[in-house]
Amino acid sequence: MSSSDSSLSISSEDPSDRNHDLNPKSIEDQLASTSLVEIDAQEPEDHREIQNGVDYASAGEGSHHQEIENNDEEVIVDAAQEELPSNFGVPGGLVEVEEASMGLGRGGVVWMRTNSELEVDRPSSPSSSGYAGERGSSGASSGGVSGTDEVVEDEIQEDRNDAVDDVLDSQASWVPGKRHVDEDDASISWRKRKKHFFILSHSGKPIYSRYGDEHKLAGFSATLQAIISFVENGGDRVKLVRAGKHQVVFLVKGPIYSVCISCTEEPFESLRGQLELIYGQMILILTKSVNRCFEKNPKFDMTPLLGGTDVVFSSLIHSFSWNPATFLHAYTCLPLAYGTRQAAGAILQDVADSGVLFAILMCKHKVISLVGAQKASLHPDDMLLLANFVMSSESFRTSESFSPICLPRYNPMAFLYAYVHYLDVDTYLMLLTTSSDAFYHLKDCRIRIEMVLLKSNVLSEVQRSMVDGGMRVEDLPVDLLPRSRTFPHLGQHKLPTDSPDRFRESYAGVGGPAGLWHFIYRSIFLDQYVSSEFSAPISTPKQQKRLYRAYQKFYTSMHDRGIGPHKTQFRRDENYVLLCWVTQDFELYAAFDPLADKALAIKTCNRVCQWVKDVENEIFLLGASPFSW
Amino acid sequence: MSSEGVLRLEKVIHTLMATSGNKNINAKLVLLGDVGAGKSSLVLRFVKGQFIEFQESTIGAAFFSQTLAVNDATVKFEIWDTAGQERYHSLAPMYYRGAAAAIIVYDITNQASFERAKKWVQELHSQGNPNMVVALAGNKADLLEARKVAAEEAQAYAQENGLFFMETSAKTATNVNDIFYEIAKRLPRVQPAQNPSGMVLMDRPAERVASASCCS
Ligand SMILES: Nc1nc2c(ncn2[C@@H]2O[C@H](COP(=O)(O)OP(=O)(O)OP(=O)(O)O)[C@@H](O)[C@H]2O)c(=O)[nH]1
Ligand SMILES: [Mg+2]
Repeated sequence: MSSSDSSLSISSEDPSDRNHDLNPKSIEDQLASTSLVEIDAQEPEDHREIQNGVDYASAGEGSHHQEIENNDEEVIVDAAQEELPSNFGVPGGLVEVEEASMGLGRGGVVWMRTNSELEVDRPSSPSSSGYAGERGSSGASSGGVSGTDEVVEDEIQEDRNDAVDDVLDSQASWVPGKRHVDEDDASISWRKRKKHFFILSHSGKPIYSRYGDEHKLAGFSATLQAIISFVENGGDRVKLVRAGKHQVVFLVKGPIYSVCISCTEEPFESLRGQLELIYGQMILILTKSVNRCFEKNPKFDMTPLLGGTDVVFSSLIHSFSWNPATFLHAYTCLPLAYGTRQAAGAILQDVADSGVLFAILMCKHKVISLVGAQKASLHPDDMLLLANFVMSSESFRTSESFSPICLPRYNPMAFLYAYVHYLDVDTYLMLLTTSSDAFYHLKDCRIRIEMVLLKSNVLSEVQRSMVDGGMRVEDLPVDLLPRSRTFPHLGQHKLPTDSPDRFRESYAGVGGPAGLWHFIYRSIFLDQYVSSEFSAPISTPKQQKRLYRAYQKFYTSMHDRGIGPHKTQFRRDENYVLLCWVTQDFELYAAFDPLADKALAIKTCNRVCQWVKDVENEIFLLGASPFSW
Repeated sequence: MSSEGVLRLEKVIHTLMATSGNKNINAKLVLLGDVGAGKSSLVLRFVKGQFIEFQESTIGAAFFSQTLAVNDATVKFEIWDTAGQERYHSLAPMYYRGAAAAIIVYDITNQASFERAKKWVQELHSQGNPNMVVALAGNKADLLEARKVAAEEAQAYAQENGLFFMETSAKTATNVNDIFYEIAKRLPRVQPAQNPSGMVLMDRPAERVASASCCS
């Protein structure tokens, strides 16, 4: 465990306590030291005012001023009232360009650009032709080069003046696969979508579009390409264009451009992070060696190479609105008794020692256990992308699979081979290797693993945990005395609702003590997070999505440049009280009833941290984590 | 047979030897063909007796095994159902390497898939095991009204290239078991290990090439 920080923690009398245990007082001290500006919950919704009402307190010297400044940056958002589409046709005429601006808009569209992000791609092998994964010698070239269609230049000038309304992009009824394929950029419905994602090539050829048929969007793609190259010719890179309530975020990776057009009010950093993940997902499927196709033929059409993967991308995009791993860059574990997880880890370690690079056992998007060969470490984003790829592809459920996949953070240039097998409906084993001949070995490994898991009841425990769920705010223990802690197991917290041990508030029956509705705790050292179960009143997918968006915004503001070692934020608006507390060891995000008492909320956050520590054996994968090497 | 083919022969024989018992034959079988031709559907019909109207496109390759009793022997097929998606094409050798048999599948309602099948035949001829038993399956034979590839044309092509040909339907199960059975019968019978040099190829049974689909 990493060492604790002296200004936050006071060492406990109990020598068995982990040294990063918290002093329950510390967050209170921090928040009490500054005057809070709380926004009246009755005030009309106005993000600027809410932003101004944010109160910061920081234990890190000198960071206070900076935070306020960063915060200002968010305030000057919607300066331009022009509609995005009309701007698009005339890339030369719409902008005010600011060198190295970080977004202080002056009433117009803001370009953010930087010279510092030059992508250095490795030189490609001159011998390979077309896309051949990373197995240059092994086969015929796929020869899927088609550079025949010319972009219709006229379409760039096409006028698109329709107002773009808020069309609720309901995620409640999410169905896998691409929706609205019949749309193109001339359809009103297409223009009204709140959040578009595109991938295109540097020559302007569409590669992927969230909505609509890629091929019908050739003209639109060419427009995006024109904007990017317009700025790039000047030696800069486009990062962000703001136009009215739209943000257009660009990510340039060699010959591949990703673009997000959104009016969801998510922070730029979040959208950019999402583009990074989408690009990473593409690399997971194809490896970065796909860049070579563009060297051979700049007009290379990449869409055939992504055939059948719409469902992978749409499921990833869907996860941006429900899976906190997409912005926390951490993974989460299925709650399990310590011994159960140990048993799973031991057998995975066994196979990892026999030449398996990574052995990962997961249940849906939650990790049961994972082990890496010596020195190999797995990035949480790679896990997210891998799990998304496997879960979204029905093909893996039918039988055993052995497929090439690339882990973009591990090695973006080469394929690994993934043996994937579902042990039950939700539980799947992934064994990754560098050897394309390892199938039978991995199959044997799986048989051994499955036997051990069955014998040690791991699989039935997994099923049980799925039914029981994880931490619930209603179960937050009240007792804080270290000596009388009695929570060896998560399940034991499920006290009957009339338990006297429980905090009762006037709005009892809704959420947990002190109006606590939800929390996310991220352990920085472990790269893992735990999120409480959703319960009333955050019960519909729409409410959950809104809360995630709020967390996401919070996360971004907490991770702005100049962050001190510790930081807290308390924010009240008409939807929630949000409280965030960042230390060197963890980050806590908590949502409360908008009427919650501040002092009580702060106290409750301390309890949550204590509770998490008390059950960390069950909610986190400790020890054997490959991240710790 | 290409020279690489000859060079590989030894390795292939070794593979076959290692996996064959007296009457038990382990045979690696690979399915190749265009996206949507029906490879997964054929395997699913053969292995699980199922048919799924909206079968999802395969990722990489899926592995199945199924055992068939053929006259004198029990043949255990280790089946690789490969993905037809273009991005996996360059990885195909990884799946057909060392295979004793292949089914190249096309969709009779899709001329392009037949052209693609021919490419696979060429690739196997130049890269694959020369003793491989190769079958050509004209799938979706239930969709007669939409037929684009004449059975005669495919039959003629198969004959020229030393393949055996059947029209199949994963949907109605027509000829699905038959094509695997036919392959099983044609697999080389390898003598037990005490006679490693004397690999005996069984005489091919009287050609019973089933060009007849259920519907013709
Ligand atoms: N009518 C009819 N449809 C079939 C038949 N076989 C497959 N299909 C359908 O054709 C589609 C594609 O079948 P798959 O088995 O997935 O094709 P595949 O060759 O495995 O495709 P990839 O995995 O992408 O390479 C599915 O919707 C099947 O339901 C058949 O014999 N008759
Ligand atoms: Mg398939």
